[in-house]
Amino acid sequence: MSDDLPEAAHGRLQGGAFTSGLSVADLAACHAMGLEPVGLVQGFCAMQWGYGPARTGFGGGLGMGFASGLAPSVARGGYVENYQCPHAMVSAEHRQWGQNYEQTWVEQSWHDGYDAASRRMLEEATALGAHGVVGVVDTVASLVESGVVEFHLLGTAVVVSGLERPATPWTSSLAGQRLAKLFEAGYAPVSTIAVVSSVRVWASCMTEYFMGSGAGLWSSPSDSVEIDQLVSARTRARQLVRERARSQLRGDELHGVDLRVSEREPGPGDIDIEVQLRGNRVRRARPADPLTFPRPTVALS
Amino acid sequence: MTGAAPSPNASGDLPAAVRQALAVAEPVGGARAGLTSDLTIDETLILHSVAWAPRDLVVGLSVQSVPSSIWSWGSGEIELASRAHARAFAHAVARLHAEAVAVGAHGVVGVHVERRILASHIEVELVGTAVAPADAPRIPDGQVFVSDLSARDFALLLAGGWRPVALAVGASFTYAPRRAVGAALRQQTQNVELTNYTAALYDARSTAMERMQRAALDAHGAGIVDVTVTEGPLRFAAHAIGFTAWGTVVVPASSSQTIDPLTVVSLDDAVNAFDVAPLA
Repeated sequence: MSDDLPEAAHGRLQGGAFTSGLSVADLAACHAMGLEPVGLVQGFCAMQWGYGPARTGFGGGLGMGFASGLAPSVARGGYVENYQCPHAMVSAEHRQWGQNYEQTWVEQSWHDGYDAASRRMLEEATALGAHGVVGVVDTVASLVESGVVEFHLLGTAVVVSGLERPATPWTSSLAGQRLAKLFEAGYAPVSTIAVVSSVRVWASCMTEYFMGSGAGLWSSPSDSVEIDQLVSARTRARQLVRERARSQLRGDELHGVDLRVSEREPGPGDIDIEVQLRGNRVRRARPADPLTFPRPTVALS
Repeated sequence: MTGAAPSPNASGDLPAAVRQALAVAEPVGGARAGLTSDLTIDETLILHSVAWAPRDLVVGLSVQSVPSSIWSWGSGEIELASRAHARAFAHAVARLHAEAVAVGAHGVVGVHVERRILASHIEVELVGTAVAPADAPRIPDGQVFVSDLSARDFALLLAGGWRPVALAVGASFTYAPRRAVGAALRQQTQNVELTNYTAALYDARSTAMERMQRAALDAHGAGIVDVTVTEGPLRFAAHAIGFTAWGTVVVPASSSQTIDPLTVVSLDDAVNAFDVAPLA
Protein backbone atom coordinates (compact mmCIF):
# COMPACT_ATOMS: atom_id res chain seq x y z
CA MET A 1 0.00 0.00 0.00
CA SER A 2 1.47 3.38 -0.99
CA ASP A 3 1.77 5.97 1.75
CA ASP A 4 0.65 9.34 0.41
CA LEU A 5 -0.64 10.65 3.74
CA PRO A 6 -0.15 14.38 4.30
CA GLU A 7 2.51 15.33 6.88
CA ALA A 8 -0.16 16.84 9.11
CA ALA A 9 -2.02 13.53 9.13
CA HIS A 10 1.12 11.70 10.25
CA GLY A 11 1.50 14.20 13.08
CA ARG A 12 -2.12 13.88 14.12
CA LEU A 13 -2.02 10.09 14.09
CA GLN A 14 1.06 10.12 16.36
CA GLY A 15 -0.63 12.47 18.81
CA GLY A 16 -0.94 10.03 21.72
CA ALA A 17 -4.64 10.29 22.63
CA PHE A 18 -6.92 8.22 20.48
CA THR A 19 -9.88 9.63 18.57
CA SER A 20 -12.93 7.60 17.60
CA GLY A 21 -16.40 7.78 16.15
CA LEU A 22 -17.66 5.25 18.68
CA SER A 23 -20.47 5.88 21.14
CA VAL A 24 -19.77 5.01 24.77
CA ALA A 25 -21.77 1.78 24.35
CA ASP A 26 -19.78 0.88 21.22
CA LEU A 27 -16.52 1.61 23.05
CA ALA A 28 -17.56 -0.68 25.90
CA ALA A 29 -18.44 -3.44 23.44
CA CYS A 30 -15.09 -3.03 21.67
CA HIS A 31 -13.27 -3.47 24.96
CA ALA A 32 -15.33 -6.59 25.70
CA MET A 33 -14.20 -8.02 22.33
CA GLY A 34 -10.58 -7.15 22.96
CA LEU A 35 -10.54 -4.38 20.34
CA GLU A 36 -8.70 -1.16 21.27
CA PRO A 37 -9.60 1.99 19.32
CA VAL A 38 -6.55 3.86 18.10
CA GLY A 39 -7.93 6.61 15.91
CA LEU A 40 -10.70 8.01 13.76
CA VAL A 41 -9.54 7.40 10.21
CA GLN A 42 -10.90 8.99 7.07
CA GLY A 43 -10.42 9.05 3.34
CA PHE A 44 -11.57 11.61 0.82
CA CYS A 45 -11.63 11.85 -2.95
CA ALA A 46 -13.20 14.54 -5.11
CA MET A 47 -13.85 13.32 -8.63
CA GLN A 48 -14.60 15.32 -11.73
CA TRP A 49 -17.58 13.56 -13.33
CA GLY A 50 -16.27 12.98 -16.80
CA TYR A 51 -18.68 12.95 -19.70
CA GLY A 52 -18.56 9.73 -21.61
CA PRO A 53 -19.14 9.03 -25.25
CA ALA A 54 -22.94 8.97 -25.12
CA ARG A 55 -23.26 12.03 -22.88
CA THR A 56 -21.58 14.34 -25.36
CA GLY A 57 -24.52 14.19 -27.71
CA PHE A 58 -27.26 14.95 -25.20
CA GLY A 59 -29.12 18.21 -25.32
CA GLY A 60 -29.88 18.01 -29.00
CA GLY A 61 -27.19 16.03 -30.75
CA LEU A 62 -28.09 12.59 -29.43
CA GLY A 63 -31.80 13.17 -29.69
CA MET A 64 -31.49 14.17 -33.30
CA GLY A 65 -29.18 11.23 -33.81
CA PHE A 66 -31.82 8.83 -32.57
CA ALA A 67 -34.53 10.49 -34.58
CA SER A 68 -32.43 10.06 -37.67
CA GLY A 69 -31.69 6.44 -36.81
CA LEU A 70 -28.17 6.84 -35.43
CA ALA A 71 -27.08 5.07 -32.27
CA PRO A 72 -24.90 6.71 -29.63
CA SER A 73 -21.45 5.26 -29.24
CA VAL A 74 -21.55 2.87 -26.30
CA ALA A 75 -18.62 1.67 -24.23
CA ARG A 76 -17.69 -1.88 -25.16
CA GLY A 77 -18.50 -4.72 -22.82
CA GLY A 78 -21.44 -3.06 -21.18
CA TYR A 79 -25.12 -3.89 -21.29
CA VAL A 80 -26.87 -2.66 -24.44
CA GLU A 81 -30.41 -3.31 -25.62
CA ASN A 82 -32.06 -1.80 -28.68
CA TYR A 83 -35.75 -1.09 -29.24
CA GLN A 84 -36.95 -0.61 -32.80
CA CYS A 85 -39.85 1.68 -33.68
CA PRO A 86 -42.75 -0.46 -34.95
CA HIS A 87 -44.15 2.37 -37.06
CA ALA A 88 -43.26 3.66 -40.46
CA MET A 89 -41.72 7.13 -40.55
CA VAL A 90 -44.17 9.47 -38.82
CA SER A 91 -42.17 12.70 -38.72
CA ALA A 92 -38.59 13.91 -38.52
CA GLU A 93 -38.90 14.17 -34.72
CA HIS A 94 -40.27 10.65 -34.35
CA ARG A 95 -37.89 8.33 -32.48
CA GLN A 96 -37.12 5.51 -34.87
CA TRP A 97 -35.55 3.47 -32.11
CA GLY A 98 -34.55 3.54 -28.49
CA GLN A 99 -31.74 2.09 -26.47
CA ASN A 100 -30.80 1.04 -22.94
CA TYR A 101 -27.07 1.19 -22.35
CA GLU A 102 -24.74 0.80 -19.42
CA GLN A 103 -22.65 3.89 -18.69
CA THR A 104 -19.43 2.05 -17.93
CA TRP A 105 -17.43 5.29 -17.81
CA VAL A 106 -19.70 6.60 -15.02
CA GLU A 107 -19.34 3.31 -13.12
CA GLN A 108 -15.54 3.37 -13.55
CA SER A 109 -15.33 6.97 -12.25
CA TRP A 110 -17.52 6.10 -9.26
CA HIS A 111 -15.43 3.07 -8.39
CA ASP A 112 -12.18 5.04 -8.87
CA GLY A 113 -13.42 7.72 -6.47
CA TYR A 114 -14.79 5.31 -3.88
CA ASP A 115 -11.74 3.03 -4.00
CA ALA A 116 -9.34 5.98 -3.66
CA ALA A 117 -11.21 7.27 -0.58
CA SER A 118 -11.29 3.76 0.88
CA ARG A 119 -7.59 3.24 0.18
CA ARG A 120 -6.71 6.53 1.90
CA MET A 121 -8.76 5.60 4.94
CA LEU A 122 -6.91 2.28 5.12
CA GLU A 123 -3.57 4.07 4.76
CA GLU A 124 -4.38 6.05 7.89
CA ALA A 125 -5.41 2.86 9.67
CA THR A 126 -2.20 1.12 8.59
CA ALA A 127 -0.13 4.08 9.80
CA LEU A 128 -1.76 3.60 13.20
CA GLY A 129 -0.86 -0.08 13.22
CA ALA A 130 -4.53 -1.06 13.16
CA HIS A 131 -5.87 -4.55 12.50
CA GLY A 132 -9.26 -3.29 11.36
CA VAL A 133 -11.64 -0.38 10.98
CA VAL A 134 -15.09 -0.58 12.59
CA GLY A 135 -18.20 1.55 12.19
CA VAL A 136 -17.31 2.51 8.62
CA VAL A 137 -19.73 4.96 7.04
CA ASP A 138 -19.50 6.67 3.69
CA THR A 139 -21.06 9.62 1.95
CA VAL A 140 -21.12 10.27 -1.76
CA ALA A 141 -22.25 13.83 -2.40
CA SER A 142 -22.04 16.51 -5.05
CA LEU A 143 -19.77 19.42 -4.24
CA VAL A 144 -20.81 22.97 -5.06
CA GLU A 145 -19.05 22.90 -8.37
CA SER A 146 -21.17 21.21 -10.97
CA GLY A 147 -19.99 17.78 -12.00
CA VAL A 148 -17.75 17.21 -8.95
CA VAL A 149 -18.54 14.35 -6.60
CA GLU A 150 -17.00 13.95 -3.15
CA PHE A 151 -16.39 10.48 -1.67
CA HIS A 152 -15.81 10.40 2.07
CA LEU A 153 -15.23 7.30 4.20
CA LEU A 154 -14.85 7.37 7.96
CA GLY A 155 -14.36 4.75 10.65
CA THR A 156 -12.57 3.89 13.87
CA ALA A 157 -9.30 2.02 13.56
CA VAL A 158 -8.84 -0.74 16.14
CA VAL A 159 -6.01 -3.02 17.19
CA VAL A 160 -6.37 -6.56 18.49
CA SER A 161 -3.78 -7.51 21.05
CA GLY A 162 -1.98 -10.79 20.54
CA LEU A 163 -2.74 -11.00 16.82
CA GLU A 164 -0.42 -10.55 13.89
CA ARG A 165 -1.24 -7.45 11.85
CA PRO A 166 -2.77 -8.17 8.44
CA ALA A 167 -1.29 -6.60 5.30
CA THR A 168 -4.52 -4.67 4.84
CA PRO A 169 -6.84 -3.90 7.76
CA TRP A 170 -10.29 -5.48 7.65
CA THR A 171 -13.29 -3.14 7.59
CA SER A 172 -16.91 -3.31 8.69
CA SER A 173 -19.80 -0.91 8.99
CA LEU A 174 -20.71 -2.73 12.19
CA ALA A 175 -19.47 -1.60 15.59
CA GLY A 176 -20.30 -2.27 19.21
CA GLN A 177 -22.74 -5.01 20.11
CA ARG A 178 -23.70 -5.68 16.49
CA LEU A 179 -20.08 -6.53 15.73
CA ALA A 180 -19.90 -8.67 18.88
CA LYS A 181 -22.98 -10.58 17.68
CA LEU A 182 -21.29 -11.15 14.32
CA PHE A 183 -18.31 -12.76 16.06
CA GLU A 184 -20.60 -14.75 18.36
CA ALA A 185 -22.45 -16.04 15.30
CA GLY A 186 -19.16 -17.43 14.02
CA TYR A 187 -18.34 -14.81 11.39
CA ALA A 188 -15.33 -12.56 10.95
CA PRO A 189 -15.52 -9.20 9.13
CA VAL A 190 -13.52 -8.97 5.90
CA SER A 191 -14.38 -5.69 4.19
CA THR A 192 -17.12 -3.25 3.36
CA ILE A 193 -18.21 -3.50 -0.25
CA ALA A 194 -19.71 -0.70 -2.34
CA VAL A 195 -20.54 -1.08 -6.01
CA VAL A 196 -22.57 0.91 -8.51
CA SER A 197 -24.34 0.43 -11.80
CA SER A 198 -25.39 3.17 -14.18
CA VAL A 199 -27.88 2.53 -16.98
CA ARG A 200 -29.21 5.16 -19.35
CA VAL A 201 -32.56 4.83 -21.08
CA TRP A 202 -33.11 6.62 -24.33
CA ALA A 203 -36.78 5.88 -24.81
CA SER A 204 -38.15 4.40 -28.00
CA CYS A 205 -41.23 6.06 -29.45
CA MET A 206 -43.51 3.59 -27.62
CA THR A 207 -41.73 3.98 -24.28
CA GLU A 208 -41.80 7.75 -24.59
CA TYR A 209 -45.51 7.78 -25.30
CA PHE A 210 -46.33 5.32 -22.54
CA MET A 211 -44.37 7.37 -20.02
CA GLY A 212 -45.58 10.69 -21.29
CA SER A 213 -49.29 10.08 -20.88
CA GLY A 214 -49.74 9.31 -24.53
CA ALA A 215 -50.69 5.66 -24.31
CA GLY A 216 -54.06 6.37 -25.80
CA LEU A 217 -52.43 7.35 -29.05
CA TRP A 218 -50.84 3.97 -29.63
CA SER A 219 -52.89 1.39 -27.85
CA SER A 220 -56.37 0.73 -26.78
CA PRO A 221 -57.21 2.83 -23.71
CA SER A 222 -59.22 -0.11 -22.44
CA ASP A 223 -56.17 -1.72 -20.84
CA SER A 224 -52.79 -1.07 -19.27
CA VAL A 225 -49.49 -2.00 -20.91
CA GLU A 226 -46.17 -2.91 -19.34
CA ILE A 227 -43.36 -0.54 -20.33
CA ASP A 228 -40.87 -3.24 -21.34
CA GLN A 229 -37.90 -0.98 -22.05
CA LEU A 230 -38.01 0.69 -18.63
CA VAL A 231 -38.61 -2.60 -16.81
CA SER A 232 -35.66 -4.14 -18.61
CA ALA A 233 -33.33 -1.21 -17.82
CA ARG A 234 -34.27 -1.10 -14.15
CA THR A 235 -34.02 -4.87 -13.78
CA ARG A 236 -30.61 -4.97 -15.46
CA ALA A 237 -29.28 -2.10 -13.31
CA ARG A 238 -30.20 -4.04 -10.17
CA GLN A 239 -28.75 -7.28 -11.54
CA LEU A 240 -25.46 -5.58 -12.41
CA VAL A 241 -24.75 -4.37 -8.87
CA ARG A 242 -25.60 -7.75 -7.38
CA GLU A 243 -23.35 -9.54 -9.89
CA ARG A 244 -20.57 -7.04 -9.19
CA ALA A 245 -20.87 -7.52 -5.43
CA ARG A 246 -20.89 -11.33 -5.76
CA SER A 247 -17.75 -11.22 -7.90
CA GLN A 248 -15.88 -9.62 -4.97
CA LEU A 249 -16.93 -12.19 -2.37
CA ARG A 250 -14.55 -15.04 -3.30
CA GLY A 251 -16.38 -17.61 -1.20
CA ASP A 252 -17.45 -15.23 1.56
CA GLU A 253 -20.93 -13.83 2.27
CA LEU A 254 -22.38 -10.33 1.98
CA HIS A 255 -24.58 -9.27 4.89
CA GLY A 256 -26.67 -6.17 5.61
CA VAL A 257 -27.03 -5.18 1.96
CA ASP A 258 -28.26 -1.63 1.42
CA LEU A 259 -29.64 -1.06 -2.09
CA ARG A 260 -30.05 2.60 -3.05
CA VAL A 261 -31.68 3.58 -6.32
CA SER A 262 -31.78 7.05 -7.82
CA GLU A 263 -33.23 8.16 -11.12
CA ARG A 264 -33.18 11.47 -12.89
CA GLU A 265 -34.81 12.53 -16.12
CA PRO A 266 -32.63 15.12 -17.84
CA GLY A 267 -35.16 15.39 -20.66
CA PRO A 268 -38.31 13.74 -21.98
CA GLY A 269 -37.69 10.06 -22.56
CA ASP A 270 -34.10 10.31 -21.26
CA ILE A 271 -33.70 8.49 -17.94
CA ASP A 272 -30.53 8.03 -15.93
CA ILE A 273 -30.69 5.08 -13.49
CA GLU A 274 -28.06 4.66 -10.79
CA VAL A 275 -28.07 1.79 -8.31
CA GLN A 276 -25.62 1.65 -5.41
CA LEU A 277 -25.16 -1.48 -3.31
CA ARG A 278 -23.30 -1.54 0.00
CA GLY A 279 -22.78 -4.38 2.42
CA ASN A 280 -20.42 -6.15 4.77
CA ARG A 281 -18.33 -8.97 3.37
CA VAL A 282 -18.03 -11.50 6.17
CA ARG A 283 -16.32 -14.88 6.45
CA ARG A 284 -17.66 -17.89 8.25
CA ALA A 285 -14.93 -18.66 10.77
CA ARG A 286 -16.45 -21.71 12.40
CA PRO A 287 -19.26 -24.12 11.50
CA ALA A 288 -22.76 -22.80 12.06
CA ASP A 289 -23.80 -23.02 15.69
CA PRO A 290 -27.25 -21.41 15.80
CA LEU A 291 -28.56 -19.80 18.95
CA THR A 292 -31.57 -21.41 20.53
CA PHE A 293 -34.77 -19.54 19.75
CA PRO A 294 -34.85 -16.53 22.11
CA ARG A 295 -37.51 -16.56 24.83
CA PRO A 296 -40.23 -14.03 23.85
CA THR A 297 -40.99 -11.47 26.53
CA VAL A 298 -43.87 -9.14 27.25
CA ALA A 299 -43.05 -5.96 29.15
CA LEU A 300 -45.38 -4.54 31.79
CA SER A 301 -45.16 -0.79 31.97
CA MET B 1 -4.24 -20.19 11.08
CA THR B 2 -6.92 -21.44 8.75
CA GLY B 3 -8.87 -23.81 10.99
CA ALA B 4 -12.29 -23.12 12.42
CA ALA B 5 -12.61 -20.75 15.38
CA PRO B 6 -14.22 -22.13 18.54
CA SER B 7 -17.62 -20.98 19.70
CA PRO B 8 -17.46 -18.17 22.28
CA ASN B 9 -20.61 -19.67 23.77
CA ALA B 10 -18.67 -22.77 24.64
CA SER B 11 -15.49 -21.10 25.86
CA GLY B 12 -17.04 -17.91 27.26
CA ASP B 13 -13.94 -16.01 26.13
CA LEU B 14 -15.10 -13.50 23.52
CA PRO B 15 -11.71 -11.78 22.95
CA ALA B 16 -10.08 -15.17 22.27
CA ALA B 17 -12.87 -16.12 19.86
CA VAL B 18 -12.50 -12.72 18.11
CA ARG B 19 -8.75 -13.26 17.67
CA GLN B 20 -9.25 -16.76 16.33
CA ALA B 21 -12.06 -15.72 13.97
CA LEU B 22 -9.93 -12.91 12.56
CA ALA B 23 -7.09 -15.36 11.93
CA VAL B 24 -9.25 -17.61 9.73
CA ALA B 25 -8.08 -17.11 6.15
CA GLU B 26 -10.65 -19.23 4.32
CA PRO B 27 -14.38 -19.73 4.90
CA VAL B 28 -15.04 -22.92 6.85
CA GLY B 29 -17.64 -25.60 6.15
CA GLY B 30 -21.24 -24.49 6.14
CA ALA B 31 -20.48 -21.16 4.43
CA ARG B 32 -22.68 -20.40 1.46
CA ALA B 33 -20.43 -18.91 -1.20
CA GLY B 34 -21.75 -15.78 -2.87
CA LEU B 35 -24.64 -15.33 -0.47
CA THR B 36 -26.08 -11.79 -0.35
CA SER B 37 -28.70 -10.62 2.11
CA ASP B 38 -30.17 -7.34 3.30
CA LEU B 39 -30.89 -8.78 6.74
CA THR B 40 -29.22 -7.25 9.78
CA ILE B 41 -26.99 -9.41 11.96
CA ASP B 42 -29.85 -9.63 14.50
CA GLU B 43 -32.27 -10.83 11.81
CA THR B 44 -29.72 -13.35 10.53
CA LEU B 45 -29.23 -14.74 14.04
CA ILE B 46 -32.95 -15.06 14.74
CA LEU B 47 -33.45 -16.74 11.36
CA HIS B 48 -30.69 -19.21 12.27
CA SER B 49 -32.42 -19.86 15.60
CA VAL B 50 -35.41 -21.35 13.75
CA ALA B 51 -33.05 -23.35 11.48
CA TRP B 52 -33.54 -21.13 8.42
CA ALA B 53 -30.84 -19.20 6.54
CA PRO B 54 -30.68 -16.44 3.93
CA ARG B 55 -29.96 -17.47 0.34
CA ASP B 56 -29.83 -14.31 -1.78
CA LEU B 57 -31.09 -10.77 -2.22
CA VAL B 58 -33.94 -10.86 -4.76
CA VAL B 59 -35.72 -8.13 -6.71
CA GLY B 60 -38.90 -7.91 -8.78
CA LEU B 61 -40.39 -4.87 -10.45
CA SER B 62 -42.96 -3.77 -12.99
CA VAL B 63 -44.07 -0.54 -14.66
CA GLN B 64 -47.58 -0.44 -16.11
CA SER B 65 -48.64 2.36 -18.44
CA VAL B 66 -52.09 3.91 -18.07
CA PRO B 67 -53.67 6.53 -20.36
CA SER B 68 -53.71 9.84 -18.47
CA SER B 69 -57.27 10.44 -19.68
CA ILE B 70 -58.58 7.90 -17.16
CA TRP B 71 -58.02 10.35 -14.30
CA SER B 72 -60.54 12.86 -15.69
CA TRP B 73 -63.79 13.44 -13.82
CA GLY B 74 -66.13 10.48 -13.71
CA SER B 75 -68.05 8.30 -11.35
CA GLY B 76 -67.50 4.89 -9.81
CA GLU B 77 -64.27 2.94 -9.84
CA ILE B 78 -61.40 3.77 -12.19
CA GLU B 79 -61.17 0.17 -13.25
CA LEU B 80 -58.24 0.51 -15.61
CA ALA B 81 -56.09 2.03 -12.84
CA SER B 82 -57.08 -0.69 -10.38
CA ARG B 83 -56.28 -3.34 -13.00
CA ALA B 84 -52.93 -1.73 -13.86
CA HIS B 85 -52.00 -1.65 -10.16
CA ALA B 86 -52.94 -5.32 -9.76
CA ARG B 87 -50.88 -6.27 -12.82
CA ALA B 88 -47.87 -4.25 -11.68
CA PHE B 89 -47.94 -6.05 -8.32
CA ALA B 90 -48.54 -9.46 -9.90
CA HIS B 91 -45.63 -9.06 -12.36
CA ALA B 92 -43.30 -7.76 -9.64
CA VAL B 93 -44.20 -10.65 -7.33
CA ALA B 94 -43.76 -13.17 -10.18
CA ARG B 95 -40.27 -11.84 -10.96
CA LEU B 96 -39.27 -11.81 -7.29
CA HIS B 97 -40.61 -15.34 -6.96
CA ALA B 98 -38.67 -16.49 -10.05
CA GLU B 99 -35.40 -15.15 -8.59
CA ALA B 100 -36.13 -16.94 -5.32
CA VAL B 101 -36.84 -20.21 -7.13
CA ALA B 102 -33.61 -19.84 -9.10
CA VAL B 103 -31.52 -19.88 -5.88
CA GLY B 104 -33.41 -22.81 -4.40
CA ALA B 105 -35.18 -20.75 -1.74
CA HIS B 106 -38.36 -21.78 0.04
CA GLY B 107 -39.56 -18.21 0.37
CA VAL B 108 -38.77 -14.51 0.51
CA VAL B 109 -38.97 -12.51 3.75
CA GLY B 110 -38.71 -8.84 4.63
CA VAL B 111 -40.05 -7.70 1.27
CA HIS B 112 -39.87 -3.91 0.97
CA VAL B 113 -42.66 -2.52 -1.20
CA GLU B 114 -41.92 0.66 -3.19
CA ARG B 115 -44.77 2.11 -5.27
CA ARG B 116 -45.34 5.21 -7.35
CA ILE B 117 -48.72 6.13 -8.77
CA LEU B 118 -48.23 8.64 -11.58
CA ALA B 119 -50.66 10.03 -14.13
CA SER B 120 -49.04 8.06 -16.95
CA HIS B 121 -47.89 4.88 -15.21
CA ILE B 122 -47.86 2.81 -12.04
CA GLU B 123 -44.61 1.43 -10.68
CA VAL B 124 -44.06 -1.37 -8.17
CA GLU B 125 -40.69 -2.59 -6.90
CA LEU B 126 -40.17 -5.40 -4.38
CA VAL B 127 -36.86 -6.19 -2.69
CA GLY B 128 -36.39 -8.98 -0.16
CA THR B 129 -34.14 -11.79 1.00
CA ALA B 130 -34.75 -15.32 -0.26
CA VAL B 131 -34.54 -17.84 2.58
CA ALA B 132 -34.68 -21.59 3.09
CA PRO B 133 -34.30 -24.08 5.93
CA ALA B 134 -30.63 -24.94 6.37
CA ASP B 135 -29.54 -27.71 3.95
CA ALA B 136 -33.14 -28.28 2.79
CA PRO B 137 -33.77 -29.63 -0.73
CA ARG B 138 -35.70 -27.63 -3.30
CA ILE B 139 -39.47 -27.56 -3.07
CA PRO B 140 -42.00 -27.23 -5.92
CA ASP B 141 -42.04 -23.69 -7.32
CA GLY B 142 -45.67 -23.22 -6.34
CA GLN B 143 -44.83 -23.66 -2.66
CA VAL B 144 -42.23 -20.87 -2.56
CA PHE B 145 -43.80 -18.02 -0.59
CA VAL B 146 -43.37 -14.24 -0.72
CA SER B 147 -43.87 -12.29 2.51
CA ASP B 148 -43.35 -8.74 3.73
CA LEU B 149 -42.86 -9.95 7.30
CA SER B 150 -39.48 -9.09 8.79
CA ALA B 151 -37.16 -11.99 9.61
CA ARG B 152 -38.03 -11.47 13.29
CA ASP B 153 -41.76 -11.66 12.62
CA PHE B 154 -41.24 -14.64 10.32
CA ALA B 155 -39.38 -16.50 13.09
CA LEU B 156 -42.07 -15.59 15.62
CA LEU B 157 -44.76 -16.76 13.20
CA LEU B 158 -43.06 -20.15 12.83
CA ALA B 159 -42.58 -20.40 16.59
CA GLY B 160 -46.25 -19.66 17.03
CA GLY B 161 -47.25 -22.56 14.81
CA TRP B 162 -48.07 -20.68 11.59
CA ARG B 163 -46.37 -20.21 8.25
CA PRO B 164 -46.60 -17.62 5.45
CA VAL B 165 -47.90 -18.65 2.03
CA ALA B 166 -48.17 -15.49 -0.10
CA LEU B 167 -48.36 -11.73 -0.33
CA ALA B 168 -51.97 -10.61 -0.81
CA VAL B 169 -52.72 -7.25 -2.40
CA GLY B 170 -55.91 -5.32 -3.04
CA ALA B 171 -56.29 -1.87 -4.56
CA SER B 172 -59.07 0.33 -5.82
CA PHE B 173 -59.06 3.77 -7.40
CA THR B 174 -62.40 5.58 -7.28
CA TYR B 175 -63.72 8.93 -8.45
CA ALA B 176 -65.10 11.25 -5.77
CA PRO B 177 -68.25 12.35 -7.58
CA ARG B 178 -68.79 16.05 -8.25
CA ARG B 179 -71.06 17.96 -5.94
CA ALA B 180 -73.89 19.95 -7.47
CA VAL B 181 -72.87 23.54 -8.13
CA GLY B 182 -75.41 24.79 -5.63
CA ALA B 183 -74.17 22.41 -2.93
CA ALA B 184 -70.54 23.37 -3.56
CA LEU B 185 -71.32 27.08 -3.28
CA ARG B 186 -73.46 26.57 -0.19
CA GLN B 187 -70.78 24.48 1.55
CA GLN B 188 -67.93 26.83 0.68
CA THR B 189 -68.12 28.68 4.02
CA GLN B 190 -69.44 25.78 6.12
CA ASN B 191 -67.72 23.18 8.27
CA VAL B 192 -69.49 20.14 6.85
CA GLU B 193 -68.69 16.59 5.89
CA LEU B 194 -68.04 16.19 2.17
CA THR B 195 -70.07 13.06 1.75
CA ASN B 196 -68.89 12.52 -1.81
CA TYR B 197 -65.30 12.06 -0.55
CA THR B 198 -66.41 9.95 2.42
CA ALA B 199 -68.46 7.72 0.12
CA ALA B 200 -65.57 7.40 -2.35
CA LEU B 201 -63.21 6.39 0.48
CA TYR B 202 -65.67 3.76 1.68
CA ASP B 203 -66.17 2.43 -1.85
CA ALA B 204 -62.43 2.24 -2.52
CA ARG B 205 -61.75 0.61 0.85
CA SER B 206 -64.50 -1.92 0.46
CA THR B 207 -63.36 -2.99 -3.00
CA ALA B 208 -59.65 -3.09 -2.12
CA MET B 209 -60.16 -5.08 1.08
CA GLU B 210 -62.42 -7.53 -0.74
CA ARG B 211 -59.75 -8.03 -3.40
CA MET B 212 -57.05 -8.59 -0.80
CA GLN B 213 -59.22 -11.16 0.99
CA ARG B 214 -59.99 -12.83 -2.34
CA ALA B 215 -56.24 -13.10 -2.98
CA ALA B 216 -55.81 -14.74 0.43
CA LEU B 217 -58.54 -17.27 -0.30
CA ASP B 218 -57.00 -18.00 -3.72
CA ALA B 219 -53.76 -18.80 -1.87
CA HIS B 220 -55.72 -21.14 0.46
CA GLY B 221 -54.81 -18.90 3.40
CA ALA B 222 -56.48 -18.80 6.79
CA GLY B 223 -55.81 -15.11 7.34
CA ILE B 224 -53.68 -12.08 6.61
CA VAL B 225 -51.26 -10.47 9.07
CA ASP B 226 -49.37 -7.19 9.20
CA VAL B 227 -51.62 -5.43 6.71
CA THR B 228 -50.29 -2.13 5.35
CA VAL B 229 -52.90 0.37 4.24
CA THR B 230 -52.43 3.49 2.13
CA GLU B 231 -55.31 5.75 1.17
CA GLY B 232 -56.13 9.25 0.07
CA PRO B 233 -56.55 11.48 -2.95
CA LEU B 234 -53.95 11.25 -5.70
CA ARG B 235 -51.43 14.08 -5.92
CA PHE B 236 -52.12 14.77 -9.60
CA ALA B 237 -55.91 14.15 -9.45
CA ALA B 238 -57.42 15.31 -6.15
CA HIS B 239 -60.88 14.09 -7.18
CA ALA B 240 -59.64 10.49 -7.39
CA ILE B 241 -59.25 8.36 -4.26
CA GLY B 242 -56.80 5.49 -4.05
CA PHE B 243 -56.94 2.76 -1.41
CA THR B 244 -54.34 0.01 -1.28
CA ALA B 245 -53.84 -2.81 1.21
CA TRP B 246 -51.31 -5.61 1.31
CA GLY B 247 -50.20 -8.17 3.86
CA THR B 248 -48.90 -11.70 4.35
CA VAL B 249 -51.28 -14.62 3.98
CA VAL B 250 -50.73 -17.22 6.70
CA VAL B 251 -51.93 -20.75 7.43
CA PRO B 252 -51.56 -22.93 10.54
CA ALA B 253 -48.53 -25.20 10.26
CA SER B 254 -48.96 -28.92 10.59
CA SER B 255 -47.80 -29.00 14.20
CA SER B 256 -49.73 -27.10 16.81
CA GLN B 257 -47.54 -24.67 18.74
CA THR B 258 -48.06 -21.54 20.79
CA ILE B 259 -45.71 -18.89 22.11
CA ASP B 260 -45.44 -18.67 25.88
CA PRO B 261 -43.89 -15.26 26.54
CA LEU B 262 -42.16 -14.34 29.76
CA THR B 263 -43.65 -11.30 31.47
CA VAL B 264 -41.02 -8.78 32.53
CA VAL B 265 -40.99 -5.39 34.24
CA SER B 266 -38.26 -2.99 33.26
CA LEU B 267 -36.65 -1.04 36.07
CA ASP B 268 -35.71 1.73 33.61
CA ASP B 269 -37.95 4.77 33.51
CA ALA B 270 -39.34 5.21 30.04
CA VAL B 271 -38.73 8.97 30.10
CA ASN B 272 -37.14 11.47 32.41
CA ALA B 273 -40.19 13.03 34.07
CA PHE B 274 -38.29 15.96 35.54
CA ASP B 275 -37.70 18.62 32.90
CA VAL B 276 -34.95 21.01 33.95
CA ALA B 277 -35.38 23.33 30.99
CA PRO B 278 -37.91 25.67 32.69
CA LEU B 279 -35.49 26.25 35.57
CA ALA B 280 -32.76 27.62 33.32
